[in-house]
Amino acid sequence: MKCFSRYLPYIFRPPNTILSSSCHTEADIISTVEFNHTGELLATGDKGGRVVIFQREQESKNQVHRRGEYNVYSTFQSHEPEFDYLKSLEIEEKINKIRWLPQQNAAYFLLSTNDKTVKLWKVSERDKRPEGYNLKDEEGRLRDPSTITTLRVPVLRPMDLMVEATPRRVFANAHTYHINSISVNSDYETYMSADDLRINLWNFEITNQSFNIVDIKPANMEELTEVITAAEFHPHHCNTFVYSSSKGTIRLCDMRTSALCDRHTKFFEEPEDPSNRSFFSEIISSISDVKFSHSGRYIMTRDYLTVKVWDLNMENRPIETYQVHDYLRSKLCSLYENDCIFDKFECVWNGSDSVIMTGSYNNFFRMFDRNTKRDVTLEASRENSKPRAILKPRKVCVGGKRRKDEISVDSLDFSKKILHTAWHPSENIIAVAATNNLYIFQDKVN
Amino acid sequence: MEFKLEAHRIVSISLGKIYNSRVQRGGIKLHKNLLVSLVLRSARQVYLSDPCPGLYLAGPAESSLAPPPPPQQQLGEPMAKSSAGWGEPPPLAARAAWQEPEPQPERPVGPGQPGTDDAEPPVSVTGTRDVLQSRETEAAEPAWRRVERPREVEARGPGGPAGALDVSPQGPRVARCHCFCPPGGEDRLGAQVGAHRVDCCCSSQPSDTKPPAPPLVCPRKRSAAGVGCPAPGSTPLKKPRRDLEEQPGGGDNEEEMDTGNVANLISIFGSSFSGLLRKKSPGGGREEEEGEESGPEAAEPGQICCEKPVLRDMNPWSTAIVAF
Repeated sequence: MKCFSRYLPYIFRPPNTILSSSCHTEADIISTVEFNHTGELLATGDKGGRVVIFQREQESKNQVHRRGEYNVYSTFQSHEPEFDYLKSLEIEEKINKIRWLPQQNAAYFLLSTNDKTVKLWKVSERDKRPEGYNLKDEEGRLRDPSTITTLRVPVLRPMDLMVEATPRRVFANAHTYHINSISVNSDYETYMSADDLRINLWNFEITNQSFNIVDIKPANMEELTEVITAAEFHPHHCNTFVYSSSKGTIRLCDMRTSALCDRHTKFFEEPEDPSNRSFFSEIISSISDVKFSHSGRYIMTRDYLTVKVWDLNMENRPIETYQVHDYLRSKLCSLYENDCIFDKFECVWNGSDSVIMTGSYNNFFRMFDRNTKRDVTLEASRENSKPRAILKPRKVCVGGKRRKDEISVDSLDFSKKILHTAWHPSENIIAVAATNNLYIFQDKVN
Repeated sequence: MEFKLEAHRIVSISLGKIYNSRVQRGGIKLHKNLLVSLVLRSARQVYLSDPCPGLYLAGPAESSLAPPPPPQQQLGEPMAKSSAGWGEPPPLAARAAWQEPEPQPERPVGPGQPGTDDAEPPVSVTGTRDVLQSRETEAAEPAWRRVERPREVEARGPGGPAGALDVSPQGPRVARCHCFCPPGGEDRLGAQVGAHRVDCCCSSQPSDTKPPAPPLVCPRKRSAAGVGCPAPGSTPLKKPRRDLEEQPGGGDNEEEMDTGNVANLISIFGSSFSGLLRKKSPGGGREEEEGEESGPEAAEPGQICCEKPVLRDMNPWSTAIVAF
């Protein structure tokens, strides 16, 4: 097979720099990546509770061929470790999800969440400062009023650009279990947060109460058979949302039907293939991510070995199924032992919903073109990321003779996993998080 | 057979994961533990479906324990309901170090408290204690009536941030089942366990311990009695050192079955996690509420029914979740 990229409309090239932290600690592991609605900003959250926002450079007139690159715009500590004394539990500061709000003024707003608390952050620029106060001198010290003989009007003078992030709202104490998803509604007034057993609806302005819209906690916990793994609002219909479960099912709910959406409007489930049954069938069928297409017509789900695309109008099976790394099917026991089988991979659509992307191991990530049915495996690594170089497609050899550039299944590095990826909303720019490194690849058609 | 071995291995691994989850930062992950319990259930089903389960686990001992005394059977049920305190899953199979459940923090551990844990029909915990006592004990007595906290906890302190809290100062003093107790009457760790349930086969024997803890059905170590709670196809694999005093036959398989107690662990979990989670967890009060019922802290050791048949009749593992 030749270069798969030929069949894909994009040829990705790495930028000049790979954004990463110099020393790798556990806290530096990136745990979420998200572009904002225009693609101008890219936010990442890490295990240490920090949020780093990158901004795309304005394209300069001098280098029209060079697309803007992403540079650090703002960094702030979003969440701190907490301790729940009542339950004697430590609450991790790891950022589970970041979601941007659509921009409505000069400032940017985003939601970031850890296991228990959601916060609304305002990121704004300050490039002017007032000078000429009457009661304070230039250093800020108070002046003795008795020495003031004249009054002046303070003026705004330019200053070095400063980007500041301030927490505007803190939505706390609404979740007993670990929050796994947040999703901003298309009405831009509400959002939902989902934990293992419940989904709550919030209004951005109100922090001391939320509405519970889904509750799958059984009266008797002994009867628990499934948990909620991801949830998302429909991109256009503010009354519709979906949530996925650990049993491999997706439920679509309409908030107009009742206050508590325990009864779904649609139920998506594919019958299990009995020939593939194993001890780990349930684990690998657990859905780790669910995403609406930009059009709102389809949903994409990711389970351990596959990515599936479902048509909202057809509940009994997906319309497309893509094998991400089926060669792992025979290794499930080992993956269970080393806990890799519990890894939660995410999946993303490109701007036109024609290509889907998801991560794998060994720093590989995969793209599937829904129209041509072609797929490609690429690797996010420094060695392969010389600036202006084309990413070379990779291939995993599943058995038999290994060809020169192939890598055998047993050589895969399972500690290098790509769980989080993001695709620019309108351009062919992708952000791939490989442990503590963030790779941004751009398509340079010329 | 291969399947059985594989299943056995998977059970060991799963139990280890469940146990380790207690000490993970961020609290117990409900989703992950749910999945692990599902795997556990599948593996258990395969494990128990083996026609000759005893082959790997039990030795002659099993045969002698085969017929489960009816009373004990029933006890299994109630036991399932009563909480032994920590629903904490047993540690790795390799260590059948069950520890005396701590629900007893609030429960005064003292002698003469037979159903202390729960005002329910006494369920004698089997010689599990003994197993518990011995750190290296591999085989939990099949005849468990409740899951004991791994003994190791005592030795190494809190099993986890959550768990430790409820450990009573006396630590996991495992009540010793008479029949299980070595002649010395003192378990190796010197723990004196709580009340010894009447049902225990060894109830007739003089207990040298003042049972401060919940009764444990003690597996009949001495084949003579054969009354002990039969292991569910598992064997009360006693540690070699005990084998000398106990069933000699049991020892045979112990060696080859380093994780022999897994069988017992399976029974424990198989007998429904309902037992693992006490409805009212005294110490687990804090978890009781909306709070993380998912936390093992809230769970109490369940009743382990050593009976294979009883095991099968017990509720599925779904209740394992409750433990977390």
